[in-house]
Amino acid sequence: MAELRLPHRSPGARKAMDVFIRFFSVTSATIGIFFLCWILWVVLKRGHSVLSLSFFTSAPPSPGEGTGGIYYALVGTLKMTGLACLMGVPLGLLTGVHLAEFGRHSWFAAAVRFCVNLLMGIPSILVGLFAYTVIVLSVPKHYSGYAGAFALAIIMLPTVARTTEDMLLLVPDTLRESTLALGIPRWRMITGILFRAARKGLLTGVLLSISRVSGETAPLLFTALNNNYYPKNLGRPTANLTVTIYNYAMSPYENWQRVAWGASLVIMAFLLGITVLLRTLLRERSHR
Amino acid sequence: MNQTIESIPHTTVSETVIDDPILSAQDLCFWYGNSQALFENNLDIAPRKITAIIGPSGCGKSTHIRVYNRIFEQYRGQRASGRVLMDGLDLLAPDTDIITLRRRIGMIFQKPTPFPMSIFENVAYGVRLHFSFTKRELEQKVEESLRAAALWSEVKDLLHRPGTALSGGQQQRLCIARALAMSPEILLMDEPTSAIDPVATARIEELMLELKQRLTIVIVTHNMQQAARISDYTAFFYQGRIIEFGPTARLFTKPTHPQTEEYITGRFG
Repeated sequence: MAELRLPHRSPGARKAMDVFIRFFSVTSATIGIFFLCWILWVVLKRGHSVLSLSFFTSAPPSPGEGTGGIYYALVGTLKMTGLACLMGVPLGLLTGVHLAEFGRHSWFAAAVRFCVNLLMGIPSILVGLFAYTVIVLSVPKHYSGYAGAFALAIIMLPTVARTTEDMLLLVPDTLRESTLALGIPRWRMITGILFRAARKGLLTGVLLSISRVSGETAPLLFTALNNNYYPKNLGRPTANLTVTIYNYAMSPYENWQRVAWGASLVIMAFLLGITVLLRTLLRERSHR
Repeated sequence: MNQTIESIPHTTVSETVIDDPILSAQDLCFWYGNSQALFENNLDIAPRKITAIIGPSGCGKSTHIRVYNRIFEQYRGQRASGRVLMDGLDLLAPDTDIITLRRRIGMIFQKPTPFPMSIFENVAYGVRLHFSFTKRELEQKVEESLRAAALWSEVKDLLHRPGTALSGGQQQRLCIARALAMSPEILLMDEPTSAIDPVATARIEELMLELKQRLTIVIVTHNMQQAARISDYTAFFYQGRIIEFGPTARLFTKPTHPQTEEYITGRFG
């Protein structure tokens, strides 16, 4: 009975606030999805008409005539991304191992973690300028695919390192203890047991970093530049998808613009594929 | 808290003498950072017997056996002082080869932790690192270890299935097989049955009685019936000190210290 004398607030205001907040959150979410769908729709509409097998296997068209394709740019992008993986993935993996396994409490690891976070936030155009300064302007003095791969590797590094650290920390310490208790040396524990226990997480980090660099244009603009020839080796300016899109979309030639839309669709489909793969990997993790 | 610790009678010399102990802890102290967890304890472990360590939560039971294989060194801020003698050598000496030490002193944990690989590989993984066996000998060693852990008949046709697919009790026996494959002289068991069901527990207790024919077991347990059932000697820990140590039958029937009696009769802990 005493409860009745308490100064209860009327539920009306609370309910109104609830409706208000819900309305705005739903509206914001809808606006976000709306623009995403719009982008997807435009790219699909403009890009799908050029898509065919020959689009992937043909040389770029001459300005103004012919359809052509993105073969050179596709090969260049794959080569540079592959080389960037070879540099960035082992380095990032080992950095993550240091952070999770050896440096949990050390000041050095804390400093490394801080730098890795910082590196993750650096605009990619700065990474491009950096690669331009230290590689393109040095000995051979020209743009090259190597410089492009170098810039992409720097962008991949922090993503791989942080994911590796997070995923290794998810492995319970009991597994570490029972491995060490068998007289297994620490490095064997890391490479043989922990990597295996966290393999899906580690793969997630690598895929995430690939998806991060697959749309990068700015760092390649200063390094790999672009090329109209087949990228036989990466010592020369190298054709790649994103700079091709940039150049062709800005060009006055209608057939180039079409190639740009097609290439955009290819990158978008690739990213979608990686995202689906990541989701499957992570879902399997949580079901285990 | 500190006052109660000071008021506890300190038993530095145990009344029970073990002849020719396989392990002998002397003046063993342990710290987690600045907080001391073990206070100048002395404990001798009899060879080919089961020694149980009992006591309330937080009394230092696990801490004590984690010193034997120096697994605590994995963590920053944990340190031990004193000596633990095995074959006349101090295990805590800096020049002790920790890999060999851990091969000779195996450890089983509360939670079964199969490696993320096949049942066969779970056992073979450590063996390959310590011994250079031929493929044939390795297979024999794996079979022998699984038999010794009373798991062979259940898994002999599933050797290539993942170790994680086994039941909890089977996983724990897999961990025991894995440890036995190292041919250890001592097996440390840190509450090995507290995470598994009673039937699986009974199997593991049976197994321990078989194993003590050829190796020494030190088991930490919360379960006093378990200590009474399987152990030959029992040490009662309380607040970081060994209050009483003696043959299990004597300690459970005629405890000499009031704390021991209170604990085993269930008045605290």
